[in-house]
Amino acid sequence: MSWAQILVDGVALGAAYALVALGFVLVLNAAGAVNFAQGDLVMAGGFAAIVLASLVPLGGIAVPGLVLAPMVAVAGGLAGWLVAEIAYRPLRRRPPVAVFISTIAVGIMLQHGANGLFGASERRTPPMMAGEPFAFAGLTVSRQSLAIVATAAIVILLLHLLLERTQLGRRLRAAAEDPDMARAIGIPVRRLTALAFALGAALAALAGLLLANVYFVTPTAGLAFMLKAYIAVTIGGWGSLRGAVAGAFLVALFEVIAARLLNASLADALLYAALLAALLLRPQGLFGEAAGRRA
Amino acid sequence: MNARSILAAAGPAPVWVLAAAAVAVYGTLAQSYGLKLLAIAGCYTLAVLGYQFVFGRIGALSLAQGAFFGLGAYTSALLALKLGWDFARTLPAAIALAVALAAIVGASVLRLGSHYFALATLAVAELLHILAVEWLRLTGGGNGLPGVPGFRLFDFTIPAGWPAALFVWIVVAMGALLAMNYAASLYGDGSRLLRAHPLAAASAGIGEPGRRMAAFLLSAAFGAAGGALYVHTLGVVSPEALQFDVMVLILCMTVIGGRNAVAGAALGALLLVHLPEWFRAFEQWALFAYGAGLLVCIIAAPEGIAGAVEALWRRMFGPPRVAVLAAPAPPSEMAAPPPAGDTIVLAAQALGIAFGGNRALTGATFHIRAGEIVGLIGPNGSGKTTLLNLLSGFYRPDLGRVLLGGHDVTALPAWRRARLGIARSFQHAALADDMTALDNVAVASAECGPARLANILRLPGRDRRRRQARARAFAALEAVGAAASAGKRGADLGTSERRLVELARALVAEPKVMLLDEPAAGLSEAEKHALQSLLRGLAARGIGIVIVDHGMPFLLPLADRVVCLDAGAILAAGTPQEVAADPAVRRAYLGGAAP
Amino acid sequence: MTKVKRISTVIAAALLLAPAAEAQERATFPILVPLTGALALEGQSQRNGALMAFAERERAGTAALLKQVYSYPVLDTASNPQIAVQAFERAMGASPKPRMLMGPIDGNSMLALLPLAERENAALLAISGTARLTELGSKHIFRFFPSDVVVKAAQARYIVEELKRKNVALVHQNTAYGQSGNAELTRWIERLGGAVVFRTSLPVTTKELSGVIAQVRESGADVVALQLHSGSSALFVGQAARAGLGLPIVGGSALHQPSTAALLEPAEMKGVCAETASAPAADEAPEIAAFARNYRERYKAEPDAFALAAYDAVRAVFQTWNAEKPLPESLAAAEIKGLAMTYKNDGTGNLAHDAIIVCYDGTSRTPRIAKRYRRPHD
Repeated sequence: MSWAQILVDGVALGAAYALVALGFVLVLNAAGAVNFAQGDLVMAGGFAAIVLASLVPLGGIAVPGLVLAPMVAVAGGLAGWLVAEIAYRPLRRRPPVAVFISTIAVGIMLQHGANGLFGASERRTPPMMAGEPFAFAGLTVSRQSLAIVATAAIVILLLHLLLERTQLGRRLRAAAEDPDMARAIGIPVRRLTALAFALGAALAALAGLLLANVYFVTPTAGLAFMLKAYIAVTIGGWGSLRGAVAGAFLVALFEVIAARLLNASLADALLYAALLAALLLRPQGLFGEAAGRRA
Repeated sequence: MNARSILAAAGPAPVWVLAAAAVAVYGTLAQSYGLKLLAIAGCYTLAVLGYQFVFGRIGALSLAQGAFFGLGAYTSALLALKLGWDFARTLPAAIALAVALAAIVGASVLRLGSHYFALATLAVAELLHILAVEWLRLTGGGNGLPGVPGFRLFDFTIPAGWPAALFVWIVVAMGALLAMNYAASLYGDGSRLLRAHPLAAASAGIGEPGRRMAAFLLSAAFGAAGGALYVHTLGVVSPEALQFDVMVLILCMTVIGGRNAVAGAALGALLLVHLPEWFRAFEQWALFAYGAGLLVCIIAAPEGIAGAVEALWRRMFGPPRVAVLAAPAPPSEMAAPPPAGDTIVLAAQALGIAFGGNRALTGATFHIRAGEIVGLIGPNGSGKTTLLNLLSGFYRPDLGRVLLGGHDVTALPAWRRARLGIARSFQHAALADDMTALDNVAVASAECGPARLANILRLPGRDRRRRQARARAFAALEAVGAAASAGKRGADLGTSERRLVELARALVAEPKVMLLDEPAAGLSEAEKHALQSLLRGLAARGIGIVIVDHGMPFLLPLADRVVCLDAGAILAAGTPQEVAADPAVRRAYLGGAAP
Repeated sequence: MTKVKRISTVIAAALLLAPAAEAQERATFPILVPLTGALALEGQSQRNGALMAFAERERAGTAALLKQVYSYPVLDTASNPQIAVQAFERAMGASPKPRMLMGPIDGNSMLALLPLAERENAALLAISGTARLTELGSKHIFRFFPSDVVVKAAQARYIVEELKRKNVALVHQNTAYGQSGNAELTRWIERLGGAVVFRTSLPVTTKELSGVIAQVRESGADVVALQLHSGSSALFVGQAARAGLGLPIVGGSALHQPSTAALLEPAEMKGVCAETASAPAADEAPEIAAFARNYRERYKAEPDAFALAAYDAVRAVFQTWNAEKPLPESLAAAEIKGLAMTYKNDGTGNLAHDAIIVCYDGTSRTPRIAKRYRRPHD
């Protein structure tokens, strides 16, 4: 199996991680809060896709993921809004660690809610579109990998446009940078924070739909995604959107390359060791920390 | 003293005593299962107490506490199984190993900022977990180490059931005593300010790296002790004990119990150990209910249960009043003769700094003499606060030097400069809400210098240094005219009171120069006059004072010299009248109109 | 019958049955299983099988007619030995005090519980395969599932004797299950003249397996042996098929589980086999098929070997326990005909000595039974 193939697989993985990390950073910037439920929202997105797939009546034909994607994103958005209302809003004037705990609690509820509703077996979401993998230049690229990269690219582009080019995006950023000032000039900070949570959760849910086709989903899957997002955001630059994406790709590539050269357990250990080294050598990450966040 | 003030002074301690008694009664009635849960709660209480040092009191989010807990468990189990050691030997060994690891880790990562520190400790914890899983020959791998014996002390085995549970809680009580001593010491007060307002703490001379390291080492010691107790209570340790879930559990226990109160540690541990048991009836949904319960707890009591109880107690009985100190301040250098009138105490030479692409300050050169009052004015964004930060050490300049009494202090961090005699106040007076004004000032006293960690080994209440520091603080409060506020909690002080208390804090360290950032903002006319005479009095003692202010009326009668900044450079300097009349200044700052 | 005769028949029957009703024995039979955590899937199966046995028994006879009445609290051990110990202590607080209990499927939890079961003189029923459980000389363990020694022997035999392959790539999970199985499987492969040319340990959280597959390919192995849980098994089989690895795969019992097969396309499972104690969803033997039908109706899910083993274990207790012949002694000598196999204690606590190999033919998610092994470890 050539290195090119390994890299192709790594890129698809990185694209999915990027969605998760982006969602994490959005909430981080908007609320100054670490959303510990981000990984479990990915898991919930996977299960939501499975539930929606069974509800959409297509007369026995398997529902392609492409049809489900917008529905899953909306479901994720609703879930994110709910998380903002129950876990963030009551605690927004409290020390940030309170939101840490409340999102941990939400994550626990998501995980065990899924365990109660669906049981513990692994599940698979439908592929974005059915069909044989593409083969060219000796590489095999599955349709799902392409779909993941395409979806991530589209989403990142849309997000960039939203935040940089629209009024809404500017207000979001203003609310994130200085909520009191933003409120003073009439920006509805509370609604925008909820929107940030909703967006973050929608991204997570999409990632869940995409990933669960290749890697399956089970109620306990959330923590691993949470840790990966946390690592990606930190090495990319805390609070930086570009950094989140870059960090996600780095983590994914590191994973596949290390697994190729050593064994998988060692790859995990090496990731953490590399992380430690990165923190000691260049703690501000690749793109540096985005201006003053209350962490 | 009436009953109300006695109760107020006691704080919610009676509540804790009652709660402890209730738990003890429950312990005598409980079956073997209930006792086991009590013992487990005790083990976690120790871990939480340890976590409070680093997370509660210093505010550093360490994610390695679960790892120390698991490491202590494995160490004690291995030594007991392979070498046959009894608990009297395995416990100190477990603690020693964890502390050694914490020393190595801490030396590298403690200097990192908060979330980086968190991630670094997380990485260490995950590495330990992988080690436990993969190093089969030592740790038993996935199977772990079953068949660990109960508590053996020398030749005596403590029977399972209530004796073992009691033993666990005796060890916990010893740890709690240490923690209480820490909290009730001058050292502990300093740590509290450090957590609440790291910048203000630095300006009070608190911020030496040894403090965070000490907290981290303590957290490791307590965590490992908890783990060692745990493994002999349960009889098994497996890699699950090193999983992230344990860290999450300890974190939740700390926050829900109350991360600053020793009683909070026990509360959090007892509650979260029993909550899944109470919800067992829900079977598969038990942990879902547990998550919901956690959410309810944190929303209802974001400061933790202990915090909520303390707040309620205060609401019912009022805040404790600090008795006016009869002991006079020890004969101090406050009465020393002022230094010669034209000694330069602080000088800036061509200071410059840039943020990103923005040059915030260029070529700032000026000096302050002993007993001089220098005003610093300029429009918003001209660099006044930047200059103050450079002088006090909160920013490191790109160019130029800072000289304190002729010595180059440019490379020294803020807390070091504070101890050498540069005091600073902030625009928003930064006081710890949960400490009295007196203690807020006392922490800056020179007594609170190098890590006096040995204090935690004393009997409670015997901290002589704390009493001395408080006496000095009271004198400083008197000097600024805020003695009446001495007993009030930081959260209950009014704006002008806060400013005065901050001023007292700057004063108590016997500084050579005071850098004050808009000290008059928000004060009434009368208060401003009082402040002016106060500052004149301080200057008469030989302290050099730099005041940043917007209001020329405040500075005109007060300052010996005024320096005007604009766009990061010094525009004009001279007497207040000269500067006020300077056309460039009027254009830039006053907009052409007369002041 | 006339009215009088009918009434007198009823009265006579009641009088006959009355002594039986008075002599009822009550027992607590706790079921400790992982309902959450890494082994929740297997634990939920285990619970379902056990509960079905209790339910059928209660349905078959009214409470008044049964000599023994069981209460069977289900306790979650969370795939964590520490929690398992807590659950055990709680279970022991029930009244009447349990004389037997079913332990969780994870071997490390079982190892932690064994000394406690001995302390309480309770019989610990096991469906965990970890060999060490019966190597400690305990008289309180009763394993109703073939141990690793048995199933790994079957797995190794199938590889070497049936598939005629000798160069094995061994991919095992880094959990207790994977590590124990790895040791036992290696022993049997080497004993039969094969060699493990490649070995790797896989964490449960690793999802992207292209690196591992590449390493397997490079190692020159001609067969892959898996000792993985359900998720990792499915990931490996699927990704290997898509990567065109082209080697036969013989896996552990996770690959027989219908929930694992549900994750894969039938074509991806061509050439994949698994060792297991039984395959109730695929077995056509009438009793097992009936069990599967009832299970499907009750739980809306496919049964697996763990459910069947738990079912057999509970029913074995029904057959052997009563007040005169209390556990653990009564199980020590018994021979019980269960659905999956006949269970007889060999003196060390192992009651199951048979295994089967199931294989997928590439057209269906239901495997067929390819070989039955009686005592493959002899």
